[in-house]
Amino acid sequence: MNRTMMAASNTLGQLQKQIDVISNNMANVETTGFKRGEASFTDLLAQQLNNQPNQAAEVGRLTPLGIRQGNGAKIGQIQNVQSQGSLKTTNRDLDVAFTKENLYFMIGVEEGNVIRLSRDGAFYLSPNGNENMLVTADGHTVLDENGNDIVIEGDIKEIQISDEGVLKAIKTDGGEQTFNLGVVSVQKPQFLEKLGDNLYGLPDNYDGLGVTADDVLTELTGASRTDISMKQGALESSNVDLSKEMTDLITAQRMYQFQSRSITMADQMLGLVNSIR
Amino acid sequence: MLKGFYTAASGMLTQQRRTEMLTNNMANANTPGYKADQSSLRSFPEMLLNRMVSETIPNGNGKNMPSFAQVGSLNTGVYIQETNPLFKQGDIKQTDLKTDLALVHSEMPIDEQTGVAGALFFTVQNGNGDVRYTRNGNFTLDGEGYLTTSGGYYVLDENNERIQLDNDQFTVSDNGVILQDAAQVAQIGIAYSNDPAGQLVKEGDGLFSADAELTNAYDEDDVFFTIKQGYIESSNVDAAQTMTEMLSVYRSFEANQKVLQAYDQSLNKTVNEVGKIG
Repeated sequence: MNRTMMAASNTLGQLQKQIDVISNNMANVETTGFKRGEASFTDLLAQQLNNQPNQAAEVGRLTPLGIRQGNGAKIGQIQNVQSQGSLKTTNRDLDVAFTKENLYFMIGVEEGNVIRLSRDGAFYLSPNGNENMLVTADGHTVLDENGNDIVIEGDIKEIQISDEGVLKAIKTDGGEQTFNLGVVSVQKPQFLEKLGDNLYGLPDNYDGLGVTADDVLTELTGASRTDISMKQGALESSNVDLSKEMTDLITAQRMYQFQSRSITMADQMLGLVNSIR
Repeated sequence: MLKGFYTAASGMLTQQRRTEMLTNNMANANTPGYKADQSSLRSFPEMLLNRMVSETIPNGNGKNMPSFAQVGSLNTGVYIQETNPLFKQGDIKQTDLKTDLALVHSEMPIDEQTGVAGALFFTVQNGNGDVRYTRNGNFTLDGEGYLTTSGGYYVLDENNERIQLDNDQFTVSDNGVILQDAAQVAQIGIAYSNDPAGQLVKEGDGLFSADAELTNAYDEDDVFFTIKQGYIESSNVDAAQTMTEMLSVYRSFEANQKVLQAYDQSLNKTVNEVGKIG
Protein backbone atom coordinates (compact mmCIF):
# COMPACT_ATOMS: atom_id res chain seq x y z
CA MET A 1 0.00 0.00 0.00
CA ASN A 2 2.84 2.28 0.90
CA ARG A 3 4.35 1.78 -2.54
CA THR A 4 1.02 2.49 -4.19
CA MET A 5 0.66 5.72 -2.28
CA MET A 6 4.24 6.77 -3.03
CA ALA A 7 3.92 6.08 -6.75
CA ALA A 8 0.63 7.96 -6.98
CA SER A 9 1.82 10.96 -4.99
CA ASN A 10 5.08 11.18 -6.96
CA THR A 11 3.03 11.33 -10.15
CA LEU A 12 0.64 13.88 -8.67
CA GLY A 13 3.49 16.29 -8.05
CA GLN A 14 4.75 15.90 -11.59
CA LEU A 15 1.28 16.30 -13.09
CA GLN A 16 1.09 19.60 -11.25
CA LYS A 17 4.19 20.73 -13.13
CA GLN A 18 2.60 19.75 -16.43
CA ILE A 19 -0.51 21.76 -15.54
CA ASP A 20 1.78 24.71 -14.69
CA VAL A 21 3.34 24.54 -18.16
CA ILE A 22 -0.07 24.32 -19.83
CA SER A 23 -1.44 27.30 -17.88
CA ASN A 24 1.65 29.36 -18.73
CA ASN A 25 1.05 28.57 -22.39
CA MET A 26 -2.60 29.56 -22.16
CA ALA A 27 -1.78 32.81 -20.37
CA ASN A 28 0.62 33.76 -23.18
CA VAL A 29 -1.68 33.02 -26.10
CA GLU A 30 -1.58 36.72 -27.12
CA THR A 31 2.10 37.39 -26.42
CA THR A 32 4.16 38.38 -29.47
CA GLY A 33 6.78 35.85 -30.43
CA PHE A 34 5.98 33.44 -27.56
CA LYS A 35 7.12 29.84 -28.03
CA ARG A 36 4.98 27.32 -26.17
CA GLY A 37 6.40 24.78 -23.77
CA GLU A 38 5.58 21.08 -23.92
CA ALA A 39 6.12 18.73 -20.99
CA SER A 40 6.54 15.01 -21.61
CA PHE A 41 6.69 12.21 -19.10
CA THR A 42 8.96 9.29 -18.44
CA ASP A 43 8.60 6.50 -15.90
CA LEU A 44 10.56 6.34 -12.67
CA LEU A 45 13.13 3.75 -11.65
CA ALA A 46 11.94 0.18 -11.53
CA GLN A 47 13.07 -1.92 -8.59
CA GLN A 48 13.57 -5.65 -8.76
CA LEU A 49 11.96 -7.78 -6.06
CA ASN A 50 13.34 -11.29 -5.75
CA ASN A 51 10.17 -12.80 -4.37
CA GLN A 52 11.20 -16.32 -5.29
CA PRO A 53 14.94 -16.58 -4.71
CA ASN A 54 14.92 -20.38 -5.05
CA GLN A 55 15.54 -20.87 -8.76
CA ALA A 56 14.86 -24.61 -8.51
CA ALA A 57 11.24 -23.86 -7.67
CA GLU A 58 10.76 -21.93 -10.92
CA VAL A 59 11.10 -24.86 -13.29
CA GLY A 60 10.12 -24.12 -16.86
CA ARG A 61 10.10 -20.33 -16.41
CA LEU A 62 10.98 -18.43 -19.61
CA THR A 63 11.30 -14.89 -18.25
CA PRO A 64 13.95 -13.26 -16.05
CA LEU A 65 13.60 -14.11 -12.35
CA GLY A 66 11.98 -11.79 -9.86
CA ILE A 67 9.44 -9.06 -10.54
CA ARG A 68 10.07 -5.45 -11.52
CA GLN A 69 7.97 -2.79 -9.81
CA GLY A 70 7.89 0.82 -10.96
CA ASN A 71 7.43 3.94 -8.89
CA GLY A 72 5.16 6.16 -10.99
CA ALA A 73 6.02 8.78 -13.58
CA LYS A 74 8.02 12.00 -13.69
CA ILE A 75 8.47 14.85 -16.16
CA GLY A 76 11.20 13.80 -18.61
CA GLN A 77 11.78 17.19 -20.19
CA ILE A 78 10.01 20.44 -20.95
CA GLN A 79 10.80 21.49 -24.51
CA ASN A 80 10.14 24.83 -26.19
CA VAL A 81 8.37 24.22 -29.49
CA GLN A 82 9.97 26.51 -32.06
CA SER A 83 7.28 26.36 -34.74
CA GLN A 84 6.61 29.59 -36.60
CA GLY A 85 3.71 31.63 -35.27
CA SER A 86 1.26 33.23 -37.71
CA LEU A 87 1.91 36.79 -38.80
CA LYS A 88 -0.36 39.63 -37.76
CA THR A 89 -0.25 42.68 -40.07
CA THR A 90 -0.03 45.94 -38.15
CA ASN A 91 1.26 48.28 -40.93
CA ARG A 92 3.50 49.95 -38.36
CA ASP A 93 6.95 50.78 -39.70
CA LEU A 94 8.77 49.69 -36.57
CA ASP A 95 7.11 46.27 -36.30
CA VAL A 96 9.11 43.36 -37.70
CA ALA A 97 8.41 39.66 -37.65
CA PHE A 98 10.68 36.76 -38.53
CA THR A 99 9.23 34.44 -41.12
CA LYS A 100 11.67 31.61 -40.47
CA GLU A 101 12.18 29.49 -37.36
CA ASN A 102 15.19 29.66 -35.04
CA LEU A 103 16.12 33.30 -35.82
CA TYR A 104 16.32 35.78 -32.93
CA PHE A 105 17.04 39.48 -32.50
CA MET A 106 19.98 40.56 -30.35
CA ILE A 107 18.87 42.71 -27.43
CA GLY A 108 21.26 44.47 -25.09
CA VAL A 109 20.29 44.58 -21.41
CA GLU A 110 22.09 46.15 -18.44
CA GLU A 111 23.56 49.04 -20.41
CA GLY A 112 24.45 46.71 -23.27
CA ASN A 113 26.81 44.50 -21.25
CA VAL A 114 24.65 41.40 -21.55
CA ILE A 115 23.15 40.19 -24.80
CA ARG A 116 19.79 38.47 -24.79
CA LEU A 117 17.69 37.06 -27.63
CA SER A 118 14.11 37.83 -28.57
CA ARG A 119 11.52 37.02 -31.25
CA ASP A 120 9.45 40.06 -30.32
CA GLY A 121 9.86 42.57 -33.16
CA ALA A 122 7.79 45.48 -31.77
CA PHE A 123 10.43 48.24 -31.71
CA TYR A 124 10.25 51.90 -30.69
CA LEU A 125 12.41 54.98 -31.08
CA SER A 126 13.73 56.45 -27.85
CA PRO A 127 14.64 60.12 -28.34
CA ASN A 128 17.78 61.54 -26.74
CA GLY A 129 18.37 65.10 -27.87
CA ASN A 130 18.91 65.01 -31.61
CA GLU A 131 19.33 61.25 -31.68
CA ASN A 132 16.89 58.35 -31.63
CA MET A 133 17.82 54.92 -30.32
CA LEU A 134 16.03 51.74 -31.43
CA VAL A 135 14.65 50.01 -28.36
CA THR A 136 12.15 47.31 -27.37
CA ALA A 137 8.95 47.96 -25.44
CA ASP A 138 10.86 47.58 -22.13
CA GLY A 139 13.54 50.05 -23.13
CA HIS A 140 16.27 47.49 -23.90
CA THR A 141 18.42 48.45 -26.90
CA VAL A 142 18.19 46.55 -30.16
CA LEU A 143 21.71 45.69 -31.32
CA ASP A 144 23.19 45.59 -34.80
CA GLU A 145 25.29 42.74 -36.15
CA ASN A 146 28.41 43.96 -34.31
CA GLY A 147 26.68 44.22 -30.96
CA ASN A 148 26.42 48.03 -30.95
CA ASP A 149 23.37 50.15 -30.21
CA ILE A 150 21.43 51.44 -33.18
CA VAL A 151 21.42 55.25 -32.92
CA ILE A 152 19.82 57.28 -35.70
CA GLU A 153 20.76 60.96 -35.88
CA GLY A 154 18.59 63.79 -37.09
CA ASP A 155 14.89 63.97 -37.93
CA ILE A 156 13.55 60.80 -39.44
CA LYS A 157 11.07 60.83 -42.28
CA GLU A 158 10.72 57.09 -42.87
CA ILE A 159 12.21 53.79 -41.74
CA GLN A 160 12.46 50.85 -44.10
CA ILE A 161 13.47 47.37 -43.00
CA SER A 162 14.33 44.97 -45.79
CA ASP A 163 13.51 41.27 -45.74
CA GLU A 164 17.17 40.50 -45.06
CA GLY A 165 17.44 42.64 -41.95
CA VAL A 166 18.82 45.92 -43.29
CA LEU A 167 17.31 48.95 -41.55
CA LYS A 168 17.40 52.12 -43.63
CA ALA A 169 16.47 55.41 -41.98
CA ILE A 170 15.55 58.17 -44.46
CA LYS A 171 15.96 61.65 -42.94
CA THR A 172 13.92 64.73 -43.64
CA ASP A 173 17.00 66.44 -45.08
CA GLY A 174 17.45 63.63 -47.65
CA GLY A 175 20.30 61.80 -45.90
CA GLU A 176 20.21 58.09 -45.15
CA GLN A 177 21.61 55.82 -42.45
CA THR A 178 21.69 52.06 -42.80
CA PHE A 179 22.21 49.44 -40.13
CA ASN A 180 22.35 45.66 -40.26
CA LEU A 181 20.02 44.40 -37.54
CA GLY A 182 21.73 41.86 -35.29
CA VAL A 183 20.24 38.43 -35.96
CA VAL A 184 21.25 35.14 -34.38
CA SER A 185 20.49 31.68 -35.75
CA VAL A 186 20.02 29.20 -32.93
CA GLN A 187 21.22 25.64 -33.66
CA LYS A 188 20.19 24.06 -30.37
CA PRO A 189 17.03 25.92 -29.34
CA GLN A 190 16.36 23.61 -26.38
CA PHE A 191 19.47 25.06 -24.74
CA LEU A 192 17.91 28.51 -24.41
CA GLU A 193 16.16 29.55 -21.21
CA LYS A 194 13.06 31.72 -21.04
CA LEU A 195 14.00 34.75 -18.96
CA GLY A 196 10.73 36.70 -18.97
CA ASP A 197 9.93 39.95 -20.80
CA ASN A 198 10.03 37.97 -24.09
CA LEU A 199 13.78 37.46 -23.65
CA TYR A 200 15.81 34.26 -24.05
CA GLY A 201 19.36 33.57 -22.97
CA LEU A 202 21.90 30.82 -22.40
CA PRO A 203 21.79 29.24 -18.95
CA ASP A 204 24.37 30.56 -16.46
CA ASN A 205 26.23 27.29 -16.10
CA TYR A 206 26.64 26.40 -19.75
CA ASP A 207 30.44 26.74 -19.51
CA GLY A 208 30.55 23.93 -16.98
CA LEU A 209 28.56 21.67 -19.31
CA GLY A 210 31.35 21.68 -21.84
CA VAL A 211 29.34 23.66 -24.36
CA THR A 212 30.50 26.82 -26.06
CA ALA A 213 28.18 29.56 -27.20
CA ASP A 214 29.18 28.80 -30.79
CA ASP A 215 27.73 25.30 -30.51
CA VAL A 216 24.34 26.70 -29.62
CA LEU A 217 23.96 29.87 -31.71
CA THR A 218 25.53 31.55 -34.69
CA GLU A 219 25.61 35.31 -35.18
CA LEU A 220 24.68 35.94 -38.79
CA THR A 221 27.16 38.30 -40.44
CA GLY A 222 28.36 38.80 -43.99
CA ALA A 223 27.38 36.12 -46.44
CA SER A 224 25.29 34.13 -43.96
CA ARG A 225 22.87 37.06 -43.71
CA THR A 226 21.05 35.64 -46.73
CA ASP A 227 19.50 33.15 -44.31
CA ILE A 228 17.59 35.98 -42.63
CA SER A 229 13.95 36.34 -43.55
CA MET A 230 11.77 38.97 -41.90
CA LYS A 231 8.79 41.14 -42.74
CA GLN A 232 8.24 44.78 -41.85
CA GLY A 233 4.79 45.91 -40.71
CA ALA A 234 3.85 42.61 -39.10
CA LEU A 235 4.19 40.90 -35.73
CA GLU A 236 4.55 37.18 -35.03
CA SER A 237 1.75 35.79 -32.86
CA SER A 238 2.44 33.15 -30.24
CA ASN A 239 2.40 29.55 -31.49
CA VAL A 240 0.02 28.40 -28.72
CA ASP A 241 -2.91 26.36 -30.00
CA LEU A 242 -5.69 26.85 -27.45
CA SER A 243 -7.63 23.73 -28.43
CA LYS A 244 -4.54 21.55 -27.96
CA GLU A 245 -3.79 23.16 -24.60
CA MET A 246 -7.38 22.61 -23.40
CA THR A 247 -7.25 18.95 -24.46
CA ASP A 248 -3.93 18.50 -22.66
CA LEU A 249 -5.37 20.19 -19.59
CA ILE A 250 -8.39 17.89 -19.54
CA THR A 251 -6.13 14.84 -19.91
CA ALA A 252 -3.88 16.04 -17.09
CA GLN A 253 -6.87 16.65 -14.84
CA ARG A 254 -8.21 13.15 -15.45
CA MET A 255 -4.78 11.67 -14.77
CA TYR A 256 -4.76 13.64 -11.54
CA GLN A 257 -8.12 12.11 -10.65
CA PHE A 258 -6.88 8.59 -11.35
CA GLN A 259 -3.86 9.08 -9.11
CA SER A 260 -5.95 10.35 -6.20
CA ARG A 261 -8.31 7.41 -6.74
CA SER A 262 -5.30 5.10 -6.38
CA ILE A 263 -4.36 6.80 -3.11
CA THR A 264 -7.91 6.45 -1.81
CA MET A 265 -7.95 2.78 -2.72
CA ALA A 266 -4.60 2.18 -1.02
CA ASP A 267 -5.92 3.97 2.04
CA GLN A 268 -9.01 1.74 2.09
CA MET A 269 -6.84 -1.35 1.82
CA LEU A 270 -4.79 -0.18 4.78
CA GLY A 271 -8.06 0.35 6.62
CA LEU A 272 -9.03 -3.24 5.89
CA VAL A 273 -5.74 -4.44 7.34
CA ASN A 274 -6.28 -2.35 10.43
CA SER A 275 -9.74 -3.75 11.01
CA ILE A 276 -8.78 -7.44 10.97
CA ARG A 277 -8.90 -7.38 14.75
CA MET B 1 -1.28 -22.28 13.81
CA LEU B 2 -4.07 -22.95 11.40
CA LYS B 3 -2.76 -23.62 7.92
CA GLY B 4 -5.17 -21.33 6.14
CA PHE B 5 -4.05 -18.32 8.18
CA TYR B 6 -0.91 -17.95 6.10
CA THR B 7 -2.70 -18.83 2.89
CA ALA B 8 -5.08 -15.92 3.36
CA ALA B 9 -2.18 -13.64 4.26
CA SER B 10 -0.35 -14.64 1.09
CA GLY B 11 -3.51 -13.87 -0.85
CA MET B 12 -3.61 -10.37 0.61
CA LEU B 13 0.05 -9.81 -0.13
CA THR B 14 -0.39 -10.89 -3.75
CA GLN B 15 -3.32 -8.56 -4.27
CA GLN B 16 -1.28 -5.76 -2.73
CA ARG B 17 1.51 -6.38 -5.24
CA ARG B 18 -1.01 -6.40 -8.05
CA THR B 19 -2.39 -3.07 -6.90
CA GLU B 20 1.11 -1.62 -6.88
CA MET B 21 1.64 -2.80 -10.43
CA LEU B 22 -1.73 -1.47 -11.61
CA THR B 23 -1.11 1.89 -9.93
CA ASN B 24 2.21 2.17 -11.70
CA ASN B 25 0.48 1.43 -15.00
CA MET B 26 -2.12 4.08 -14.24
CA ALA B 27 0.53 6.64 -13.35
CA ASN B 28 2.23 6.02 -16.67
CA ALA B 29 -0.90 6.21 -18.82
CA ASN B 30 0.50 9.43 -20.32
CA THR B 31 4.13 8.43 -20.66
CA PRO B 32 5.27 8.10 -24.29
CA GLY B 33 6.47 4.64 -25.25
CA TYR B 34 5.43 3.06 -21.93
CA LYS B 35 4.54 -0.63 -22.10
CA ALA B 36 1.90 -1.73 -19.58
CA ASP B 37 2.88 -4.44 -17.09
CA GLN B 38 0.87 -7.60 -16.80
CA SER B 39 1.12 -10.00 -13.88
CA SER B 40 0.74 -13.73 -13.63
CA LEU B 41 -0.05 -15.39 -10.35
CA ARG B 42 1.07 -18.83 -9.32
CA SER B 43 0.04 -20.92 -6.34
CA PHE B 44 2.58 -22.36 -3.94
CA PRO B 45 3.57 -25.98 -4.57
CA GLU B 46 1.03 -28.53 -3.49
CA MET B 47 1.28 -30.41 -0.21
CA LEU B 48 -0.20 -33.80 0.48
CA LEU B 49 -2.54 -33.95 3.46
CA ASN B 50 -2.84 -36.98 5.70
CA ARG B 51 -5.50 -37.87 8.22
CA MET B 52 -4.59 -39.55 11.48
CA VAL B 53 -6.30 -42.93 11.86
CA SER B 54 -6.33 -45.16 14.88
CA GLU B 55 -6.48 -48.90 14.12
CA THR B 56 -7.03 -51.58 16.65
CA ILE B 57 -4.40 -54.34 16.68
CA PRO B 58 -6.05 -57.72 17.06
CA ASN B 59 -3.74 -59.09 19.74
CA GLY B 60 -6.21 -59.62 22.48
CA ASN B 61 -5.35 -56.48 24.51
CA GLY B 62 -7.10 -54.14 22.11
CA LYS B 63 -3.99 -51.96 21.61
CA ASN B 64 -4.27 -49.03 19.21
CA MET B 65 -1.83 -48.38 16.44
CA PRO B 66 -1.77 -44.95 14.80
CA SER B 67 -1.45 -44.69 11.06
CA PHE B 68 -2.08 -42.17 8.35
CA ALA B 69 -4.58 -42.12 5.50
CA GLN B 70 -4.14 -39.77 2.58
CA VAL B 71 -6.77 -37.12 2.16
CA GLY B 72 -5.59 -35.23 -0.92
CA SER B 73 -3.43 -32.29 -1.92
CA LEU B 74 -3.57 -28.66 -0.87
CA ASN B 75 -1.95 -25.45 -2.13
CA THR B 76 -0.81 -23.29 0.71
CA GLY B 77 -0.77 -19.90 -0.90
CA VAL B 78 -0.31 -17.76 -3.97
CA TYR B 79 2.35 -15.31 -5.14
CA ILE B 80 2.99 -13.02 -8.07
CA GLN B 81 5.37 -14.90 -10.30
CA GLU B 82 6.01 -12.51 -13.15
CA THR B 83 5.33 -8.96 -14.21
CA ASN B 84 5.84 -8.92 -17.96
CA PRO B 85 5.47 -5.84 -20.17
CA LEU B 86 2.90 -6.02 -22.95
CA PHE B 87 4.60 -4.93 -26.17
CA LYS B 88 1.51 -3.88 -28.06
CA GLN B 89 1.84 -0.83 -30.34
CA GLY B 90 0.65 2.38 -28.68
CA ASP B 91 -1.36 5.08 -30.47
CA ILE B 92 0.58 7.68 -32.46
CA LYS B 93 0.21 11.34 -31.52
CA GLN B 94 1.41 14.23 -33.64
CA THR B 95 3.64 16.85 -32.03
CA ASP B 96 5.39 19.81 -33.66
CA LEU B 97 8.88 18.82 -32.59
CA LYS B 98 11.32 17.63 -35.26
CA THR B 99 13.24 15.61 -32.68
CA ASP B 100 10.23 13.40 -31.80
CA LEU B 101 10.31 9.98 -33.46
CA ALA B 102 7.75 7.17 -33.34
CA LEU B 103 8.30 3.53 -34.25
CA VAL B 104 5.20 2.29 -36.03
CA HIS B 105 4.67 -1.35 -36.89
CA SER B 106 1.73 -3.51 -37.79
CA GLU B 107 1.28 -6.98 -36.28
CA MET B 108 4.68 -8.41 -35.48
CA PRO B 109 5.23 -11.93 -36.85
CA ILE B 110 5.20 -14.84 -34.42
CA ASP B 111 8.79 -15.96 -34.28
CA GLU B 112 9.38 -19.61 -35.23
CA GLN B 113 11.95 -20.27 -32.53
CA THR B 114 10.17 -18.79 -29.57
CA GLY B 115 6.49 -18.89 -30.50
CA VAL B 116 5.81 -15.30 -29.37
CA ALA B 117 5.56 -12.04 -31.28
CA GLY B 118 8.76 -10.02 -31.45
CA ALA B 119 9.26 -6.36 -30.57
CA LEU B 120 11.26 -3.39 -31.91
CA PHE B 121 13.24 -0.75 -29.98
CA PHE B 122 15.44 2.31 -30.42
CA THR B 123 19.02 1.66 -29.30
CA VAL B 124 20.51 4.08 -26.78
CA GLN B 125 23.78 4.28 -24.85
CA ASN B 126 24.81 6.05 -21.69
CA GLY B 127 28.10 7.84 -21.01
CA ASN B 128 29.77 4.60 -19.89
CA GLY B 129 28.91 2.74 -23.07
CA ASP B 130 26.15 0.54 -21.66
CA VAL B 131 23.56 -0.20 -24.32
CA ARG B 132 19.87 0.03 -23.49
CA TYR B 133 16.65 -0.17 -25.49
CA THR B 134 13.64 2.11 -25.43
CA ARG B 135 10.36 2.93 -27.21
CA ASN B 136 10.16 6.49 -25.87
CA GLY B 137 10.93 8.57 -28.95
CA ASN B 138 10.85 11.96 -27.20
CA PHE B 139 14.42 12.88 -28.12
CA THR B 140 16.31 16.17 -28.00
CA LEU B 141 19.66 17.62 -29.08
CA ASP B 142 22.19 18.20 -26.33
CA GLY B 143 24.67 21.07 -26.28
CA GLU B 144 27.16 19.22 -28.48
CA GLY B 145 24.55 18.24 -31.03
CA TYR B 146 24.14 14.58 -30.12
CA LEU B 147 20.62 13.14 -30.41
CA THR B 148 19.71 12.02 -26.88
CA THR B 149 16.74 10.87 -24.82
CA SER B 150 15.32 13.12 -22.13
CA GLY B 151 17.51 11.28 -19.61
CA GLY B 152 20.69 12.00 -21.54
CA TYR B 153 21.21 8.60 -23.16
CA TYR B 154 22.72 8.88 -26.66
CA VAL B 155 20.66 7.49 -29.54
CA LEU B 156 22.72 5.07 -31.65
CA ASP B 157 22.66 4.55 -35.40
CA GLU B 158 22.79 1.19 -37.21
CA ASN B 159 26.55 0.94 -36.60
CA ASN B 160 26.11 1.56 -32.86
CA GLU B 161 27.66 5.03 -33.12
CA ARG B 162 26.25 8.19 -31.56
CA ILE B 163 24.40 10.53 -33.91
CA GLN B 164 25.69 14.11 -34.05
CA LEU B 165 23.71 16.82 -35.80
CA ASP B 166 24.27 20.54 -36.38
CA ASN B 167 20.76 21.68 -35.54
CA ASP B 168 17.21 20.39 -35.39
CA GLN B 169 16.46 21.15 -39.07
CA PHE B 170 16.85 17.56 -40.20
CA THR B 171 14.43 15.10 -41.73
CA VAL B 172 14.01 11.42 -40.95
CA SER B 173 12.65 9.25 -43.73
CA ASP B 174 10.25 6.33 -43.22
CA ASN B 175 13.12 3.85 -43.16
CA GLY B 176 15.06 5.76 -40.52
CA VAL B 177 17.59 7.65 -42.68
CA ILE B 178 18.50 11.05 -41.21
CA LEU B 179 19.09 13.76 -43.81
CA GLN B 180 20.56 17.14 -42.95
CA ASP B 181 20.89 19.68 -45.77
CA ALA B 182 20.11 16.84 -48.21
CA ALA B 183 23.15 14.86 -47.06
CA GLN B 184 22.73 11.52 -45.29
CA VAL B 185 24.03 11.65 -41.74
CA ALA B 186 23.10 8.23 -40.35
CA GLN B 187 20.33 5.66 -40.13
CA ILE B 188 18.57 5.27 -36.79
CA GLY B 189 19.53 1.97 -35.16
CA ILE B 190 16.50 -0.24 -34.49
CA ALA B 191 16.89 -3.47 -32.52
CA TYR B 192 14.64 -6.51 -32.79
CA SER B 193 13.97 -9.00 -30.04
CA ASN B 194 12.25 -12.29 -30.87
CA ASP B 195 11.39 -12.99 -27.22
CA PRO B 196 10.91 -9.57 -25.63
CA ALA B 197 9.39 -10.74 -22.34
CA GLY B 198 12.15 -13.29 -21.91
CA GLN B 199 15.11 -11.13 -22.87
CA LEU B 200 14.28 -7.65 -21.64
CA VAL B 201 14.07 -6.24 -18.12
CA LYS B 202 12.47 -2.88 -17.33
CA GLU B 203 14.84 -0.43 -15.71
CA GLY B 204 12.84 2.74 -15.48
CA ASP B 205 13.24 6.01 -17.40
CA GLY B 206 11.70 4.20 -20.38
CA LEU B 207 14.71 1.89 -20.71
CA PHE B 208 14.96 -1.88 -21.12
CA SER B 209 18.15 -3.81 -20.55
CA ALA B 210 19.08 -7.14 -22.07
CA ASP B 211 21.80 -9.63 -21.22
CA ALA B 212 22.65 -10.37 -24.82
CA GLU B 213 22.76 -7.78 -27.59
CA LEU B 214 19.60 -7.69 -29.71
CA THR B 215 19.71 -8.21 -33.46
CA ASN B 216 19.50 -5.43 -36.03
CA ALA B 217 15.90 -5.05 -37.16
CA TYR B 218 16.88 -4.01 -40.70
CA ASP B 219 18.30 -7.52 -41.24
CA GLU B 220 15.07 -9.28 -40.35
CA ASP B 221 13.13 -10.20 -43.49
CA ASP B 222 9.52 -10.33 -42.37
CA VAL B 223 9.62 -7.46 -39.90
CA PHE B 224 8.09 -4.28 -41.34
CA PHE B 225 8.13 -0.93 -39.59
CA THR B 226 8.31 2.80 -40.31
CA ILE B 227 9.80 5.68 -38.34
CA LYS B 228 7.70 8.81 -38.29
CA GLN B 229 9.26 12.17 -37.46
CA GLY B 230 7.15 14.67 -35.54
CA TYR B 231 5.05 11.94 -33.96
CA ILE B 232 5.26 10.23 -30.60
CA GLU B 233 3.98 6.81 -29.51
CA SER B 234 1.58 7.08 -26.56
CA SER B 235 1.50 4.64 -23.68
CA ASN B 236 -0.39 1.41 -24.39
CA VAL B 237 -2.13 1.47 -20.99
CA ASP B 238 -5.91 1.08 -21.19
CA ALA B 239 -7.15 3.34 -18.40
CA ALA B 240 -10.65 1.84 -18.18
CA GLN B 241 -9.38 -1.73 -18.03
CA THR B 242 -6.75 -0.86 -15.42
CA MET B 243 -9.32 0.90 -13.24
CA THR B 244 -11.69 -2.07 -13.45
CA GLU B 245 -8.92 -4.46 -12.52
CA MET B 246 -8.00 -2.31 -9.55
CA LEU B 247 -11.58 -2.53 -8.28
CA SER B 248 -11.70 -6.30 -8.60
CA VAL B 249 -8.26 -6.63 -6.98
CA TYR B 250 -9.51 -4.53 -4.08
CA ARG B 251 -12.51 -6.81 -3.57
CA SER B 252 -10.27 -9.85 -3.70
CA PHE B 253 -8.09 -8.23 -1.02
CA GLU B 254 -11.22 -7.64 1.05
CA ALA B 255 -12.36 -11.26 0.64
CA ASN B 256 -9.00 -12.52 1.89
CA GLN B 257 -9.26 -10.15 4.81
CA LYS B 258 -12.65 -11.65 5.72
CA VAL B 259 -11.10 -15.13 5.66
CA LEU B 260 -8.42 -13.89 8.04
CA GLN B 261 -11.10 -12.52 10.32
CA ALA B 262 -12.90 -15.87 10.30
CA TYR B 263 -9.67 -17.66 11.27
CA ASP B 264 -9.20 -15.10 13.98
CA GLN B 265 -12.62 -15.99 15.38
CA SER B 266 -11.73 -19.71 15.35
CA LEU B 267 -8.46 -19.07 17.13
CA ASN B 268 -10.31 -16.91 19.59
CA LYS B 269 -12.50 -19.90 20.48
CA THR B 270 -9.45 -22.15 20.76
CA VAL B 271 -7.55 -19.79 23.00
CA ASN B 272 -10.27 -18.39 25.16
CA GLU B 273 -13.12 -20.89 25.29
CA VAL B 274 -11.62 -24.39 25.27
CA GLY B 275 -11.31 -25.58 28.82
CA LYS B 276 -13.14 -22.58 30.15
CA ILE B 277 -14.47 -23.05 33.58
CA GLY B 278 -17.67 -21.32 34.48
